[in-house]
Amino acid sequence: MKVSYRWLKESVATDLSPKAVADRLTNAGIEVAAAAPLVSGLSGVVVGEVEAIDKHGVCRVATADRHFTVVCGAPNVAVGVRAAFAPPGAALPGGQQVQTTRKRGVLSEGMLCSEKELGIGDDADGILLLAADAPLGSDLVTSLGLDDWILEVEVTPNRPDCLSVVGVAREIAALTGAPFRFPAIAVKEGDADIVALAAVEVEDPDLCPRYAARLITGLTVAPSPPWLAQRLRAVGLRPINNLVDVTNYVLWELGHPLHAFDSDTLAQRKVIVRRARPGERLTTLDGQERELAESMLLITDPERAIALAGVMGGANTEVTAETTSVLLESAYFNPASIRRTSKRLGLATEAAYRFERGADIEGLREALDRAAQLMADLGGGTVAKGVLDVYPSPRPHPRIPLRLERIQRVIGICPPREEVVRILQGLGFAVDEAKEPPDIVVPSFRRDVSMEDDLAEEVIRVWGYERIPSTLPGGSLALVRRPAALRRAARVTQALAAAGLSEVITYGFVDPERLRLLGWDPASPELMTLRNPLSQERSILRPSLVPGLLEVVATNRHRQIPDVRCFEVGRVFRSGGPDGLAREEARVGIALTGLRASRAWYAGRDTVDLHDAKGAAEHVLASLGVEEYGVRASASSFLEAGRSGELVVGGEAVGWFGELALGPQEGYDLAGPVFLAELSLDRLGALPPRRVRYRALPRFPAVQRDVAFVMPQALAVEEVESEIRQRGGALLKSVTLFDVYAGKGVESGMRSVAWSLTFQADDRTLTDEEVNALHAAIIEAVTKRFGIAVRGMTPEGG
Amino acid sequence: MADKRASEILKGARGEAARAKSSADLEQVRVKYLGRQGILTQFLRSLSSIPVAERPEVGREANLAKAEIETLLGERLAELKAAERRHALESQRVDLTLPGRRPSPGTLHPLTLVQDEIIEIFLGLGFAVAEGPEVESDFYNFEALNIPRDHPARDMQDTFYLSEDVLLRTHTSPMQIRIMKAMRPPLRYIFPGRVYRRDIADASHSPVFHQVEGLAVDRNISMGDLKGTLELFAREMFGPRTTTRFRPSFFPFTEPSAEVDVRCFLCGGEGCRVCKQSGWLEILGSGMVHPQVLRNVGYDPEEVTGWAFGMGVERIAMLKYGIDDIRLFFENDLRFLTQFA
Ligand SMILES: [Zn+2]
Repeated sequence: MKVSYRWLKESVATDLSPKAVADRLTNAGIEVAAAAPLVSGLSGVVVGEVEAIDKHGVCRVATADRHFTVVCGAPNVAVGVRAAFAPPGAALPGGQQVQTTRKRGVLSEGMLCSEKELGIGDDADGILLLAADAPLGSDLVTSLGLDDWILEVEVTPNRPDCLSVVGVAREIAALTGAPFRFPAIAVKEGDADIVALAAVEVEDPDLCPRYAARLITGLTVAPSPPWLAQRLRAVGLRPINNLVDVTNYVLWELGHPLHAFDSDTLAQRKVIVRRARPGERLTTLDGQERELAESMLLITDPERAIALAGVMGGANTEVTAETTSVLLESAYFNPASIRRTSKRLGLATEAAYRFERGADIEGLREALDRAAQLMADLGGGTVAKGVLDVYPSPRPHPRIPLRLERIQRVIGICPPREEVVRILQGLGFAVDEAKEPPDIVVPSFRRDVSMEDDLAEEVIRVWGYERIPSTLPGGSLALVRRPAALRRAARVTQALAAAGLSEVITYGFVDPERLRLLGWDPASPELMTLRNPLSQERSILRPSLVPGLLEVVATNRHRQIPDVRCFEVGRVFRSGGPDGLAREEARVGIALTGLRASRAWYAGRDTVDLHDAKGAAEHVLASLGVEEYGVRASASSFLEAGRSGELVVGGEAVGWFGELALGPQEGYDLAGPVFLAELSLDRLGALPPRRVRYRALPRFPAVQRDVAFVMPQALAVEEVESEIRQRGGALLKSVTLFDVYAGKGVESGMRSVAWSLTFQADDRTLTDEEVNALHAAIIEAVTKRFGIAVRGMTPEGG
Repeated sequence: MADKRASEILKGARGEAARAKSSADLEQVRVKYLGRQGILTQFLRSLSSIPVAERPEVGREANLAKAEIETLLGERLAELKAAERRHALESQRVDLTLPGRRPSPGTLHPLTLVQDEIIEIFLGLGFAVAEGPEVESDFYNFEALNIPRDHPARDMQDTFYLSEDVLLRTHTSPMQIRIMKAMRPPLRYIFPGRVYRRDIADASHSPVFHQVEGLAVDRNISMGDLKGTLELFAREMFGPRTTTRFRPSFFPFTEPSAEVDVRCFLCGGEGCRVCKQSGWLEILGSGMVHPQVLRNVGYDPEEVTGWAFGMGVERIAMLKYGIDDIRLFFENDLRFLTQFA
């Protein structure tokens, strides 16, 4: 909310500069986001009078002692008006220097300016007209009060009282000790009694605890006087006419929303406050016809709805240029009800904003009186005698006992008692010191204060948070470390980063079309779909990390980064969790594409393949201490057939790896093959922990023998290797597959696979004869069992 | 007349060793004199054939000659090897400016780095760590935190809903409730995690971001302890000379509430674009746990007090690294990701 510094000074006599006031407010929790001069760069503009206009639109403009010839085509220029005039040499905002220029063949000495040109409003359609008694030739900045500052106040939802000049002024007074002055309000009433002229009935006091109205008659609608128009413009409001502007003025000054009905349009001049009836409709001031729900509170007359209570008026009773009498409403509506109505209709208005935060149920009378008198003054009307005020159960002021020990305990420090009392009184609280502890009486405009700790906050924020001592909590020692799930995630993250992969973090929302591309059914009840997504492309919670990783690969490819080796650790979501929530599972996903190693003079130019994905998955398992696992072929909707496998630990699948199928690869517009893997960190975490035991170092020498078999492509190395191990027995300490070769010299459909075997005994040095015999036995067993041949043998000394 | 053979052998060996041009040549000299069939070896073997009276004298000289030859061969070998090594290095020049063979590790995401750092600091202060669900109930995310339906405070956090009562958590604060319901004081916890707001992504908004929430509940714990703890955190995170400011604010689940700012380290408080001319950078929200929230979890606010704080990991990372667009964290452009490791 924009607040004018000059306006504030009418209610608080502070000597502080606007910047200092802003700082003080911010430090007390009323955040001032910006404080800036109302206009800058404006100088030399004065009050001028248009003395004559010829038929070509050339005006003669008079100031105190001079006459100027000015070309002006504005629609509202007329003989006799006083207006903002920038003679040659004047400066306008934006750095414009006014000069004598040739316009339409005439030398124009300066210009008559619009609001927009002066930088004080948005109206560019006509020149800014001034009061008829504005002193000729006087400086515009001083005569319009433009030497002002605007504070941009950001009021938190608990402080609707600060959505007003008076509210902010009260804070400043409490914070600085400067005297606070509430505007003097007195109504000059006419003879006619309102009771005879109008009536108010509240059928639903639960939603409208108080409704007050006054009647003003004999009004003439006209433009607001310049002081009022300027004050509204300064805070970003557009002047409309004297009646509407008064309600806005009082809204800004006192913070209470008012509504003016053209009372001649009301049936029987009677207002009935009630809930909407089934099927009832209302055309609001914005011209929209709205269908009303039965929970919504309406202002009606005996025949029809005339306003959406606290949200927006109806078009049928609007104040127009012909209006001569006004029924002015000042009411208190139930905040939750206003909020529901406003949300439901998507109608966020200045009035609803305040009512849903809580208006001042007592202050509404002052707002009513203030506005009624201003309307009468500005519109030349009369305020009828009396007020129609329906307030069946007046709300008591809460009384809260305040213990200074409580402040000390919660805050860690407490100001002296006199200081506490002074602060609370400054904020408008009454202090009943006859009680011990003293009772604090909460004013009606502070609905946010309902308990002792609220008062503690009031005291300490005014006294100054900077006075709170900085201490550290005591207490006993407790063991703290990261929980297992976080340690697991950290270990995997570190391992993959150390292995050359880059960690990524993605939004986690998935496009149903992309899911379809990957072979999921986006309508599956397993998936969790947002009711109110930002867009369709981000409407489903990820059931896998794959879609996000593919987006990363695609993004980088489009930025000319073809080689991507990345991973993400995060949760995936399925429906059917506890208490209607999700089944959330922590996973790690891996995506590899392009070159295996960053380009360098020593690096190879190999591209990644399926075994890189498998290797990365194995690396994850190893980082979590899982050494025993199996692989089984698996089918997947988005991986190439025959190029994907499941990783199995203890009979349970813990993850998979594979090559992205061509369909999705093209769907994501990816250049080359992408190899993927995904493992469940939760499932891996549920496995029994590995117990690490030391094995004694060998005391006798090892003997190494290599062997290569020429075997069919279809025969799995795993099978051959397990035969080797089995036949090798206890003396075969390790088996390492070190070469796979197919091509020249090897029959097509076959490949040569070479293993290095290490033999070693725990209790003696093996003889060559022993090793040779065992090696031969292994070869015989393998060749016999699989019908394959040895390619070659290179015995090496041990 | 003395036997001169030993000294002649020595003389010959000395001459040949000096003439040897390489360690291989020298080896041949060694074999020639000291090998099994070497001249000196044979001479030593022949000692038995000379008269007994001369034997000790000749034998002594022969052994002296042997020792001397061994020494001079050793010295000459060292000389030659050094020369050969020098020659080899000179003939195979190395370009010292050629890039080294480096292992190519990957990178950790900047958010992971910053989150780890935050966790590390609070672990050091004795805070335990817990995680909670990202898909939350309206009760834990709002109701139990004193944010009823139809309350304007809900506008502070635009929410993604999965159903009437199920949503994506808008903050990590529901973990305050979950932990307080599960445990009894004293408590000292932090809760890191992903949170979601229905904000359109721009330079300063993201529909997904990360928070670290903190909670401490005990018999006697005050706002002063909160202030001291957060000041310590800020100095640890942003450097020992960091100035902090504690400023009143509003959160429905804390009372009193405080926003914590650090003095803008770009302009030193003079005012700049990053701090929006204020001289301060907001880093977190905090406050004393609202008595109603304590009651909601079955605690007696007369018996225990508590405080809580919450900070955005992205915000801290942006300040720490000077990043001006939050979307960069989620685009995962490798040229961005590789800047932080
Ligand atoms: Zn700055």
